[in-house]
Amino acid sequence: MNESLSIKNLEKVFKTEDDEVVAIADFNLDVKKGELVSLLGPSGCGKTTILRMVAGLLEPSSGDVVVAGNKVSGPGSDRGMVFQEFALFPWRSVRKNIEFGLELSGVPKAEREQRANEYLEMVGLERFADARIHELSGGMKQRVGIARALANDPEVLLMDEPFGALDAQTRNIMQKELLKIIKRTEKTILFVTHSVDEAVFLSDRIVVLTKRPGSIKEIIEVPWPRPRDRASPEVTEMRKSILDELEKENVMNDD
Amino acid sequence: MMPLRYDPDKKLHQFARVLGITIVSLSLLVLVWWMIALLIDIPYLPTPVRVYDAFWRLMEFGDVATGLTMGEHVQSSLQRFAGGFAIAFAIAVPLGLAMGYSQTTEEFSNPIIEVIRPIAPMAWAPLFILSMGALLGPMMVVFIGVFFPVLSNTIFGVKKIDPYMVDAARTLGANNLQVFYKVMFPCTVPFIMNGIKIGLGIGWMCIVAAEMIIAFGGGVGYFILTQSQIGNWSNVFVGLFLVSALGILTTGLADRVHRIVVRRVGME
Repeated sequence: MNESLSIKNLEKVFKTEDDEVVAIADFNLDVKKGELVSLLGPSGCGKTTILRMVAGLLEPSSGDVVVAGNKVSGPGSDRGMVFQEFALFPWRSVRKNIEFGLELSGVPKAEREQRANEYLEMVGLERFADARIHELSGGMKQRVGIARALANDPEVLLMDEPFGALDAQTRNIMQKELLKIIKRTEKTILFVTHSVDEAVFLSDRIVVLTKRPGSIKEIIEVPWPRPRDRASPEVTEMRKSILDELEKENVMNDD
Repeated sequence: MMPLRYDPDKKLHQFARVLGITIVSLSLLVLVWWMIALLIDIPYLPTPVRVYDAFWRLMEFGDVATGLTMGEHVQSSLQRFAGGFAIAFAIAVPLGLAMGYSQTTEEFSNPIIEVIRPIAPMAWAPLFILSMGALLGPMMVVFIGVFFPVLSNTIFGVKKIDPYMVDAARTLGANNLQVFYKVMFPCTVPFIMNGIKIGLGIGWMCIVAAEMIIAFGGGVGYFILTQSQIGNWSNVFVGLFLVSALGILTTGLADRVHRIVVRRVGME
């Protein structure tokens, strides 16, 4: 089994009183173990909808999501999720946030602490283990969010515009931080973003989505090893061509 | 000598300022009261001095009219108050959580609650006191008074829960029960505490009023009523101040607990 995640004929239709909106149509994607695949598209194209269906937070109208051979039928600890809004638990310390998933599955205290230490160290928050969430900066909050999701050792990590709420500088730092984490954990990641720069900097493959109904417009392989130089001519060239594509997509549907 | 200047950044200065202003404002209240009492000179409005004397007399000899000490009156009131409060809390919080969580529960309970809510707690007093007696009766009046603010604040709290937090818990493997007690309950605690704060204020008014209907069993309200009946207005004023002091104490306590809880939950 080489595929961590396999999405087959995924479709999502939102029904209103007297109307049906097809949000996602005919979406197929296989993500290999250890691969980082970005979903990139204009806002409203349904990239978050796809991610939520993979997470099991949203039920597909039709189609299947298969994670490590198991068909998804609801949320589960085999798919960790990182949210743009952080979604941390403010009544818990940093450490207790990271331990949350382990607590749910009944991991004994000593092991929980040891695992939490491991991930605290990985995201560089050892010194903030006992801090309260509201004492942290945005970047630190998302480090906790990532550590919390990783502590469950999920098969796939789902990241929903994880750095979207951060300022540009913190964003760049966090992207590099994520690359370090990937190197260590070799996690399979499905990454939602609307930033072309971010997608090119991080991804093995970029899935460019069409505007509503969201489906795959193009899958781009990013061939260069990481870390990449954002300013190198070939990276810049790729960024430009994707931006052009997206612009066309926006113009075509804006009638 | 250094001139003493007010420095707004110093905690001690702030405290001294607040204390000073409070003393002046309360002194003014007493002075105005005193002046009016002397000017109109009627038995219904005794001077501060006479009320002060009455207070110490009552502390020493107890309430001769009912044969109870002041401590016993206060104890009776607090007992009823605490009982009614505890029952309201035990029912309103779980019900509020369930109503906020499940639409069906809310749709089912709402008509019942909306029918009962407009009835002033005191309107129940004669019924409750005659059917349940001097202890349980006023307790039930307090229950009605505390129940609704705690309930509506709990429901409100559940609805204010950040849905992303619930999503996060689910993706970390939480089942429905775990979402309920590991996420929804802690999220709701500050709102529940706020309901308790409001409920305490209302409950305290209820208890004194309800005690005025009972014919025996003591209590601060009962004391005020019996003293009015025998025309001892100085003692009535002592009763009024007792109500005030106990009210400040209970709401002050709730305020303190509220602040601690909010800080613990991390939702400043």
